[in-house]
Amino acid sequence: MSVSVLPPASAPDTVEPVRESRRERRRRERLEEQDSNIPVELYGLRRGTVPFLTSLAFLFAIFTLVPIAWIIINSTKNQANIFETFGFWFARPFSLFHNFSLLFQNVDGYGTYIQWFGNTALYAVLGGGGAAALAAFAGYGFARFSFRGSRVLFYMIIAALLVPITALTVPLYLTYAKAHLINSLWGMVLPSMISPVGIYLMRVYVDISVPRDLIDAARIDGAGELRIFFRVALPLMVPGVITVLLLSIVAVWNNYFLPLLIFNINSRYPLTVGLGLWSLRAQNSGNAQLFPMLVTGGLVTILPLIALFLLLQRYWRGGILLGSIAN
Amino acid sequence: MSTAISLRGLTKVFATGVTAVSSLDLSVDDGEFVVLVGPSGCGKTTALRMVAGLETITSGSVAFGDRVVNGVSPRHRDVAMVFQNYALYPHLTVYQNIGFALANKGVPKSERHSRILATAATTGLSELLARKPRQLSGGQRQRVAMARALVRSPAVFLMDEPLSNLDAKLRVAMRSEVLSVHRASGAATMYVTHDQTEAMTMGDRVAVLRDGVLQQYGTPRSLYSTPANLFVATFIGSPEMNLYEAGVCADGSLTVGSQRLALPAGSVPAGYQGRKIIVGIRPEDLGDPVSAGPDVAAALCVDVRLVEVLGSEQHVYFSVDATPAGGDLAAAALAAAAPDGVARVGVGAGIRPGNQVRFGIDADRLHFFDPDTGLAVRPG
Amino acid sequence: MSRRSAWINRRDRRGIWFVVPFLVGFVLFMVVPLGYAIYTSLYTSKLIGGTVFSGASNYTQTLQSSDFWNGVIRVVIYAAIQIPVMLAIAFFFACVFDLGVAKFGRTFRTIFFIPFAVPAVVGAVMWSFLLEPQFGPVVHLANAFGFSNTNFFSSSLLLPSIIVIVIWEWTGYNMVILYTALKSVPRDVVEAAILDDTPLWKIILRIKLPMVRPAIVMLVFLNLIGALQLFTEPQILEYFQQGAVSVNYTPAYFIYQTAIAADETNLAAAMAVILAVVIVLISAVSLVFRFGRSRRRRGEFA
Repeated sequence: MSVSVLPPASAPDTVEPVRESRRERRRRERLEEQDSNIPVELYGLRRGTVPFLTSLAFLFAIFTLVPIAWIIINSTKNQANIFETFGFWFARPFSLFHNFSLLFQNVDGYGTYIQWFGNTALYAVLGGGGAAALAAFAGYGFARFSFRGSRVLFYMIIAALLVPITALTVPLYLTYAKAHLINSLWGMVLPSMISPVGIYLMRVYVDISVPRDLIDAARIDGAGELRIFFRVALPLMVPGVITVLLLSIVAVWNNYFLPLLIFNINSRYPLTVGLGLWSLRAQNSGNAQLFPMLVTGGLVTILPLIALFLLLQRYWRGGILLGSIAN
Repeated sequence: MSTAISLRGLTKVFATGVTAVSSLDLSVDDGEFVVLVGPSGCGKTTALRMVAGLETITSGSVAFGDRVVNGVSPRHRDVAMVFQNYALYPHLTVYQNIGFALANKGVPKSERHSRILATAATTGLSELLARKPRQLSGGQRQRVAMARALVRSPAVFLMDEPLSNLDAKLRVAMRSEVLSVHRASGAATMYVTHDQTEAMTMGDRVAVLRDGVLQQYGTPRSLYSTPANLFVATFIGSPEMNLYEAGVCADGSLTVGSQRLALPAGSVPAGYQGRKIIVGIRPEDLGDPVSAGPDVAAALCVDVRLVEVLGSEQHVYFSVDATPAGGDLAAAALAAAAPDGVARVGVGAGIRPGNQVRFGIDADRLHFFDPDTGLAVRPG
Repeated sequence: MSRRSAWINRRDRRGIWFVVPFLVGFVLFMVVPLGYAIYTSLYTSKLIGGTVFSGASNYTQTLQSSDFWNGVIRVVIYAAIQIPVMLAIAFFFACVFDLGVAKFGRTFRTIFFIPFAVPAVVGAVMWSFLLEPQFGPVVHLANAFGFSNTNFFSSSLLLPSIIVIVIWEWTGYNMVILYTALKSVPRDVVEAAILDDTPLWKIILRIKLPMVRPAIVMLVFLNLIGALQLFTEPQILEYFQQGAVSVNYTPAYFIYQTAIAADETNLAAAMAVILAVVIVLISAVSLVFRFGRSRRRRGEFA
C-alpha cells in the first residue's frame, strides 16, 4: 500500500510568478509543444519517411533562400562582377560599402535611395498605424455592438476585397489629379489605412478575447463606452492589434500599384516604385552603377521587414493570423 | 478468472519534468469493470492513455493477459477508447463514424453493414445513422462514441470521463447505459472519472489515485468501510467523513476537544495511549440524536449551525470544540468560524440551528488514522 | 428588434461611432473611387470635342476587344495552374510540420515565411537577375543540365517563370495559415483515428483535410482575387527585358497602360469595371464549385 501525505491544513492559493530567462522560456515552450503533440511513432511510418520529408523541406528551404542568398552575396559586387562572376560566391573587389554609399547619392538623377527609404518608412508607419487604429475601433464596434445594419455593413466591407485594385486606384489617381493631390503624402497614407482584412481580423480577435460580461460589468460601474474601449477592451486586444499592425505595415511597405500611380516626383517615391524605376533605367541607360545599386537597394529594403518578423515571431505564429477561419 | 490487464510499476514523467503517474500497480480481470477515480491532475487519465498506447511509458509495464504491450502501437493493441469530448469525426455521419475502424481493417461491406446496424440497435442509435455529429445532442454524441468503440469487439475497453460533459440528470441515466454496453462487449473495462459517486455505483473494483500515486484499490464496499488513509476516507462518501483530532487516554477512552467518549475496550488502536490520533465518523453513522440523558455511553455533543433539508433526509452542520483534521470541510472551518462536521438524520428530527444535540457514537463505526502518516490504523 | 429594451438599443447604436472613422475612409477611398470609375467609364474624351457622354461605348469596345479577353484568359490559366500547385505545396508542408514528421519544423516554417516580408517588386527583381538569359545563375544551371539557351523571358517560358516567382512569394504565407488551421484540429479526433488503426494518408486526407476546408476555401478565394489582378511581376520582367510582356499581358497591366501610357482614362475605367465584374463572377463560381464538391462526397464511405 502506498504512503500518502496528510492533506495540508490550508493550501496556498497563489501561484508565484516564475521568473525565467528567455532561453528557459523557449525551452519550456518547446517541451510543452513536444508534450502536446502526438508522438510521431503512432503514425506508423516506414523508417526512412522522416529523413525523406526533412530533406524535402530542406530542398524547399533552399529554394526559398536562393534569391536571398543571391542578393546578399551580389550586393558586395560591382556591376561587372554581378554579371560575370559565379552568382553564389563572392568576388573581388568587395564593393559592399561602396554600393551602400551610392544609396545615399542621387546618381544621374535617378533618385536617392535613402530618401525613398525614409518615404517608405513614413508611409508604412502612418498608414499601417492608422490602419491598425481604424481596424481596432471598427473591429470592436462590429464585434461588441449589434446596431442596425451592422451585419450588412460588415459583409459589404469584406466584399470590397473583391474589387480589383485597378478599379479603385485608377479613379483615385484621376480624382487626385483633379484635386491637385498628386504627390501628396496623405494621398498615399489615407487610402492605405482602409483595410477590410484588418477589420475582419480585429473583429474575429475581439470576439475571442474580449468577454461581453467584462464590458457589461464596466458599464454597470458607470464607465463611458470610450473609456471602456481604452481601459478594458484594448489591453485584451493587444496581440491582435499588433498582428494587424504588422500586416498593415508590410502591406504599405510592399505596396506598388498605388504609389506608382499617384507619385510622379522622384523624391516622393517609396522603395517599391524607386526600385522599379531603377530596374527599367538599369537596362536602358548607360549607367552601370544602377545594377549594384539596385541589388544593394533591394537588400536594404527587405532587411527591416525580415528583422521585424524574426523579432515579433510570437504574434504571427499564433493562431491570430486568420485564426478563426473556421468561423 | 484470468487477468486481462495488468499494470506493474507504471510510471510517466513528462518532458517538462512533471511526474503524472508514479509506480502504479493494478490488475483488471476478464470482463471486470474497474474505475480509476481521483481529483483533477491525479494521473488517472494519463494512466489510461498509457494503457491505450497514446502516451509513452517512462518505466514499468502494461500487459494484456501475459503479453507485455509496452512497445506495441495503439493500432495493434485491440483497445477501444471513449474520449471525454467524444472525438467523433465531425464530417462523417453516425453510420460512417461507427464503421470507420471496420473500414480500416478491410472488413467486407456487408459484414460492416450488419455490425454497424447491430451496434446502433444496442446503443439506441438506429434512427440517427444518417446524421452528423453537429446535429446530435450531447447524450447522443456520447452514445455514438460508445458505439464506435463497441462495434470493434475489442479485448479492452477504455473510457475517459465519458459522462463528464453531460448534465447531472443525464449523467445518472447514462450510467446504466454505459454498464450495459460494458456487459454487451464482455471486455475488461477501465473507466476514468473524478466523480466518486460514479466510481462507487459502477465499479466492480475502484482505484483511488492522488498526485499520480495509488491510494487504495478494492471493491467499493471496502473503500467505503475500510479506507486505507485520510485521503480515501474523505474522498469516498458524500457528505465527507467527519474527522477530528482526538487524544487517547490510558483507559482507552477518547478525548475530543473537551468531551470524553467512553468506548468499549479494544475499540481504539493499540499504541496510541497518551498520544493524539485522528478519529473519523461518517455523517450517516452518527446515531440518532439524543437530546437528553447519558444512557448512551459514548455520545458527541455538538452545536448545530445549519440544517439543510433535502426532502428525504436532513444534513445537520455542526461545530464541536475540537480540532478538525483533514478534508475540505476542515480546511474551510479552520479559516472561519464555520461548521466542522455534518450528520445525516431523518426528517422528523426537529433539529434547529443553535440547538445543542448529542449524537450517539457506535465504536464499530469509528475510523482511526495516524496523525503523522495519515494511514488508517485498526484496533486490535 | 422591438423586444429589446430601449437602453440596449441606444447602447448598441453607440457602437456605430466606433465604426464611423473607418466608414468615412471606406466611402472616400473605396466607394467614391468606384463610383467615379463607373461615372468616368460612361464618357469619352477626344482631342476634338472634349469629354462627352458615350454611354456604353467604352464597354462594348472592351468587350469586343480580343486583346482584353486574351489577357483575361491568360490570368485565368495562370491562376488555374499557380493556385492549386501553390496550395498543394503549402498544404503538404503544413501537414508535415503539424504532424511533426520532419525535423526542425520551427526553423523551416520561419524560413518559408520570409518571402512574405519581401515586396513583390524586390522579389521580381531578384528572380529577374537569377533568370537573366545571358548571365543568370539559373540559366547557367540549366545549361549544365543540358538545356542550352533557355530564355526564361521568352513567350513560352515567361508565364511559367512568373508562376515560379509567385509561388516563391506566397507559399510560406499560405502554409502558415494552413498550419494554424491544422493545429486547431482537436487532438483526440486524431487519437481516435489512430486507435481505429487509420493509416497516415487517410488521417490527412479523410480527417484533417475536411476539417480545414474553411481555411482552404478562404485561401483559394484570396489567392484567386490576387492572381486575377497580376500586375507587378510582369511589369518588372518587362523592365528587365523589353518586349517580353505584351501591353495586354494581364488585365491589370492593360488597364494601367491604357490609363497612363495611352492616357485613355475613360476606356481604362470601363475596363476596370468589367474586370471587377469578371473577378466577382469567377470568385462566385469557384466558391460554388467548392460547395458542390463537398456535397458529392457526402455519400462516400470514408
